[in-house]
Amino acid sequence: MSNLAPKPASALLIVGHGSTENPDSSTPYFDHADEIRSRGLFAEVHCCFWKEEPSMREAYYLIDADEIYVVPDFISEGYFTQDVIPRELGLNGPTTEVRGKTFHYCLPVGIHRSMTELILKRAREVAPGIDPAETTLIITGHGTGLNTNSTKAIRDQAQLIAASGAGYAAVLDAYMEEQPFIAEWDKMSETPNVVVVPFFISDGLHSYQDIPVLLGIENEVGAALSQREVFRHNPHHLRGKTLFYSSAIGTERMLADVILDQIADFDIAHKVH
Amino acid sequence: MISLATELRNLLQSGIHRIGEIEIQTAVHGHSYVLCHFADREQSAGPSFGGLELHAGPAAARDISTYAEDGTYRFTKGQVNLKRGWVMTMENEVELRLALDQFYPACVGLFLAQRGGILEIETLREKLNRQTGMYRFARSISDAGAQKLVQEVCGPAHQCAKKILWQIDADTPLDDSEASRFNGIPGDLPAAEAIPLLCREACNHFVAECRKAAKAEFEAKAANS
Repeated sequence: MSNLAPKPASALLIVGHGSTENPDSSTPYFDHADEIRSRGLFAEVHCCFWKEEPSMREAYYLIDADEIYVVPDFISEGYFTQDVIPRELGLNGPTTEVRGKTFHYCLPVGIHRSMTELILKRAREVAPGIDPAETTLIITGHGTGLNTNSTKAIRDQAQLIAASGAGYAAVLDAYMEEQPFIAEWDKMSETPNVVVVPFFISDGLHSYQDIPVLLGIENEVGAALSQREVFRHNPHHLRGKTLFYSSAIGTERMLADVILDQIADFDIAHKVH
Repeated sequence: MISLATELRNLLQSGIHRIGEIEIQTAVHGHSYVLCHFADREQSAGPSFGGLELHAGPAAARDISTYAEDGTYRFTKGQVNLKRGWVMTMENEVELRLALDQFYPACVGLFLAQRGGILEIETLREKLNRQTGMYRFARSISDAGAQKLVQEVCGPAHQCAKKILWQIDADTPLDDSEASRFNGIPGDLPAAEAIPLLCREACNHFVAECRKAAKAEFEAKAANS
């Protein structure tokens, strides 16, 4: 658990992507906000989104506090965290004064060092009793031509886990929209077992609907997670291999601690308080 | 500076008792605030809140507001299809604000900012010009196409109860229509009794509709050339 000291005069603003189509997309952000709110560390805890309400530009009107920590609940440092969020909130550096309020802009949760352990925990939970030496672990993300940094967090995690002594025969990264493609999971894996962990915050459109089709678990895009009566069951025997597919990494409640860790790291890096 | 929670309390003391489809009752059965769908107000006054499903505190607000009665996803919170049959009790203004911000995100703050003259409004062109990826194409919608969309997508006839504050661009106001005239208060209530729902920027649903309309315009032009 994070040991961030209370900030009773500050607000925390959690920024997420959200969706106009999928009701599950914003659930983890609200869960993380509830968890942090329950610990009483901040005067206020709010969420805002790119594709849901409240928008980032509406968020300013939600907040009483004069000092605001902004944490992107995003998995990588890329297009959204470097372009969209600063532009929408009017930020021009780590700390910015915007219309009389002080905004501290923290790094996204996905690049924090504690994510490595969360991925390993997920991989172990989804494939209990499976020998890592017979298993390829694939961390999968979106990938985009808009920003080359978007895949860096996932590449870094794959390298960290490969070097961690967790014992997987291979640890790979793969993407929906750029090479190496997750659709070719079986070709890139030399082991009989494959564990795929989606490096997304929510079980939304991508991790619960699009990637299962790319993996071959589903023939067509299914209904949203919360509208399904039957959950997917592991393992899947596909393409001559045994496939284990986990839910998105961001649905871990422990991610609330990573948000707090990013704030603690911000204060140290920028000597706040 | 007065906190939003205190300002909210002052608003309620001044006679305001409604936001969107939510009725806010004060000092009921020993609770500081009681929320329900405005159509359930009479029922909620009965013993045991008239048998309505009771939720203590703000936590249930998100679940109640996610789906309409018929199970459809309420993709914008201004939609006038909020479920009935529930009541929520709040013990202070902080809880009340949390609940209202789940039902109608930022709407209390937006109203107070507008009243205080500090609300910044964004034109449709500003909003569309910031879209990227698959929504970039929305930028190419014509003014006439956008005006038509407002009348086809916005306003209570299309399930949105927000008062539109934006224009197409700085020089182009919206054409007069039921949607452009709507005051943000569903249910025929005098303005002094409700916090209006304000639309300071076109929502993402409207942006998605702009993209579709812009594509249709493009294809129609290509077919005619």
